[in-house]
Amino acid sequence: MNQTEILNIWKAYDKKLDETLLLNKVLTTEVIKLKTKSLLSSMKPIKVFTIFIGLFWVFVVGTIVGNLFLYAYSSVTLFFLLSAGIQILLTSIALVIYLYQLHLIQQVDITEPLVKTQKRLTSLKSSTLWVSRILFLQLPLWTTFYLSESMFRSGNMFYILINGTVTILFTFLAVWLFINIRFENRDKKWFKLIFEGKEWTPVMKAMELNHQIENFEKE
Amino acid sequence: MKPEDQFIQVLENNKGILYKVANAYCKDTEDRKDLVQEIVYQLWKSFDNYNAHYKHSTWIYRIALNVAISFYRKAHVRKGYTDTLTESILEFSDTGFGEETEQQLILLQQFIAELKEMDKALMLLYLEEKSHKEIADIIGISESNVGTKINRIKTVLTQKFSTIKNQF
Repeated sequence: MNQTEILNIWKAYDKKLDETLLLNKVLTTEVIKLKTKSLLSSMKPIKVFTIFIGLFWVFVVGTIVGNLFLYAYSSVTLFFLLSAGIQILLTSIALVIYLYQLHLIQQVDITEPLVKTQKRLTSLKSSTLWVSRILFLQLPLWTTFYLSESMFRSGNMFYILINGTVTILFTFLAVWLFINIRFENRDKKWFKLIFEGKEWTPVMKAMELNHQIENFEKE
Repeated sequence: MKPEDQFIQVLENNKGILYKVANAYCKDTEDRKDLVQEIVYQLWKSFDNYNAHYKHSTWIYRIALNVAISFYRKAHVRKGYTDTLTESILEFSDTGFGEETEQQLILLQQFIAELKEMDKALMLLYLEEKSHKEIADIIGISESNVGTKINRIKTVLTQKFSTIKNQF
């Protein structure tokens, strides 16, 4: 079968649609009057709320840690100050990602060419993965914030050894996950284990599409 | 004429595009019905800003394809629509083609269904016999890139049909 014959099949289909397809005008009028929010506009309040909570958290914890550092340095441990400080820094980075997502939501225009719009939409969705990477980086902090110099002085070596091992393992795991959580590893068992579940399906699909668009532009 | 009536007139003249796009991107009948509603809603939202520089069909293709490609992200919105509206925007007064055409059309649609999202868009526009310039405008790649990709798709399509023909 040659190209002309194939195009003729499509023409026949088009003709048949023209003759038999009916537009339900009543329903169309109902649809355009629906006050349903589009997905993007419905995403905005969640992002704004998360940014607000994040800013509040960074401000409150940051103020407490800052004041402890400045005025009560001797009564708190360096471990706590450092752990809390890094946690605030990581939360701030996550906030920047959320701000970037808000910026992308503002930029999306469904009337623009496919490549441009889909790139923005898929970047928006796949940037969610960055938040996970940042969250995993916080792992070792949960094994250090309660430590103190006196623990080391009292000399419970067994406890220090266990805690130290857990901290090293968590640090290794956090850095390893930060480096390896990326699209290329989507088929690995550990990746699927972390990102299984319905809420991650759109993110995975967005990443696949993002990859597809990149290849599509290249060819 | 009220904007609503103008909009419905534009849809009436281009209803085939909505059906063809929805049919290419959605296998499930219920999903397809919801996708058409979503496309219509997005078209209406953009109707005020329609740029007369482009043909209505170009504008509709851009929005319809953008919505269809992004549709997987809208599972919860879809449910909302289905609860509200049970009918379908597009209906048939009659169905069925000639038997041979029907079989060939099914094969062609199967081929389209197997393509990736972006290739699917390209294939639809090629079958619609859009110019390379219009395809480039809708997809957002250069005209020469469109030409290269169309040639590739043509070859695969011809091979596919020849293989199937040889099997029978």
